[in-house]
Amino acid sequence: MTKAKVDVPANALSNPKRKKVYIGRLVLPYAMVLPTVLLLAVFTFYPAIDMIINSFYDINVFKGNTFVGFDNYVRLFNHPDFWPAVRNTLIYTLGSVFFLIVLGLIFALWLQRSTFINGIVQRFMFLPHICALLSVAMIFQWLMDDEGLFNFVLSWFNLPGLKWFNSSDTAMISIMIVSIWKGIGYYALILLSAVKSIPTELLEAADLDDSGKLRTFFKISLPMLSPQIFFLLITITINSFKVFDSVRILTNGLCDTNVLVFLIYTLNKTSGQAGVAAAAGTVLLIILMIFTVIYFRVLGKRVHYQ
Amino acid sequence: MGEIVFKNICKSFGETKIIDDLDLTIKDGEFTVLVGPSGCGKTTLLRMIAGIGPATSGELYIDDEEISDVPPGKRGIAMVFQNYAIYPTMTVYGNIEFGLKNKKVPKAERKKLIAEVAETVGLTPYLDRKPSELSGGQRQRVALARAMVKKPKVFLLDEPLSNLDAKLRVSMRTELIELHHKLKTTFVYVTHDQTEAMSMADTIILMDHGEIQQLAPPEVIYNDPNNVFTAQFIGTPPMNIHLMKDGKTQIGYRPEKIQLSREQGQWMYCRRAKIMTREMLGSETLYKLQIKVMDKEVTVMSKSLNMDFAVDDEIYVGVEKEDLYYFDAEGLRIRDASVLTGCYEMTKEGELHD
Repeated sequence: MTKAKVDVPANALSNPKRKKVYIGRLVLPYAMVLPTVLLLAVFTFYPAIDMIINSFYDINVFKGNTFVGFDNYVRLFNHPDFWPAVRNTLIYTLGSVFFLIVLGLIFALWLQRSTFINGIVQRFMFLPHICALLSVAMIFQWLMDDEGLFNFVLSWFNLPGLKWFNSSDTAMISIMIVSIWKGIGYYALILLSAVKSIPTELLEAADLDDSGKLRTFFKISLPMLSPQIFFLLITITINSFKVFDSVRILTNGLCDTNVLVFLIYTLNKTSGQAGVAAAAGTVLLIILMIFTVIYFRVLGKRVHYQ
Repeated sequence: MGEIVFKNICKSFGETKIIDDLDLTIKDGEFTVLVGPSGCGKTTLLRMIAGIGPATSGELYIDDEEISDVPPGKRGIAMVFQNYAIYPTMTVYGNIEFGLKNKKVPKAERKKLIAEVAETVGLTPYLDRKPSELSGGQRQRVALARAMVKKPKVFLLDEPLSNLDAKLRVSMRTELIELHHKLKTTFVYVTHDQTEAMSMADTIILMDHGEIQQLAPPEVIYNDPNNVFTAQFIGTPPMNIHLMKDGKTQIGYRPEKIQLSREQGQWMYCRRAKIMTREMLGSETLYKLQIKVMDKEVTVMSKSLNMDFAVDDEIYVGVEKEDLYYFDAEGLRIRDASVLTGCYEMTKEGELHD
């Protein structure tokens, strides 16, 4: 951040009227950002710091907290649910990032021509995003029921029905299907606006340069979309690492769908292991930071900003 | 080689017909300028040649080969866009190389070609830069280099100078003329600026409302316009044209051909005039004059080397016979000798007080 420069006239502080104006100009910028800083401090920074501190304590509401050093972390890493939760979270994140971006791009490219039909499709695609997850989840539980539409369609092709949410083999994928279905409209819309902002002359110039459709996409369109894709990569990664509600509603963490945040929730709520939960929260924070740093280091240079 | 032939070309956008049944031949190796007011269809024609805005119907040939179904990249043409359309994510080198790579030119040869073309347009020190780090003029050169490196049969240029400042525009104009001399390929250049058209073209194609108004070298377009539109589009200020006594025939004369005098001269066309405004341009002076035609005040522009007259001066204006043009009621040039004789008579009769 650059510091705002305030010119101080030589005799500013000797003249009381001018002194008042000068102090006003000095204070005003801080006063204007104060509400935001205050909100962030109370609701973001304080809880985060409190969580990190708590991760070093054995938390007991009745007896008070006792400092235990890295005990909570040792207990967390030895917890039978921790490593599966990390693995599940990673699978969920990788799947979501990949499919949301790839499908989002495909939809964006498909919808880029402004036709009447595309306008309607665009609106319908956005619809799931504004629906409550609870209702979406209930609809999918019904669709993915043993006798539901999904299995019915499979039966057309003489394929055996799947257990979807009720089997360790398919539960995680089923949750991902629900999340992707719900989120795709929003992400496709972001990419669509980026696709539409690519000047047509560039694509025409590529045509004149005898570039095939695929090559034009990878060499010209994709680099032009890189800021939006990079933004989506980071936000989808963070959101996927934080996945909780769909797991809670659809499987309640059963069938190999326990994820990090759900583990934090169960640790905190049911087992009275708040300190371990805080340690898990801190681990999640560190993982997310590492991911973000890696993204910026590895991919940041390849992002083209206009 | 690079002769372009349009046969019965039509183009519509939805219900609107832009070009209706056009026939045109653009000669091989010439610098042809398509000029006209905006919306006249000149860019549409250019995009047809490029293949990025195909004709609704009709046939298009380059060197006797029908190319309507040939994709843009296979037509042997290169285009410079108005806003250059250089790939912002690639370096200058990458921009020039892209087309060659697509044509599978071997790497060593690519390198040689790019070095050559970069030298020609003066881009050698900037090959590693991204377009965002270049000035407008340099970007223009990248666009040119990208077109040149492909060694096309036809160069298409869509108002390539319109985004440059006035000074750079004039110097780039000269450079483009030199480039054409050097390459000797067909250049098709679109502009709405008649000065650009006049200064660069071997042949000017003047268009309006999707129709060719006149196709001729610049000096013919200027000295021998086919119609009122051509006469008034070319030249600054445009040709003075007003109705004659019969209320149908129109008489025209260029501002620079008007002679101004305090005494009445022996001209075929002679009128009394009052000076309304006077603009000193340096080498010449622009006068806005008022003359009377059939009891109506008509404003006439004059560009004169004589700077001795002042506003409100009452003077005589005159035009010699060879500098007079006559147009019929439809705005077409009158060339028939017998009709012209009548026009001359009418001009003399109307002397001083139409």
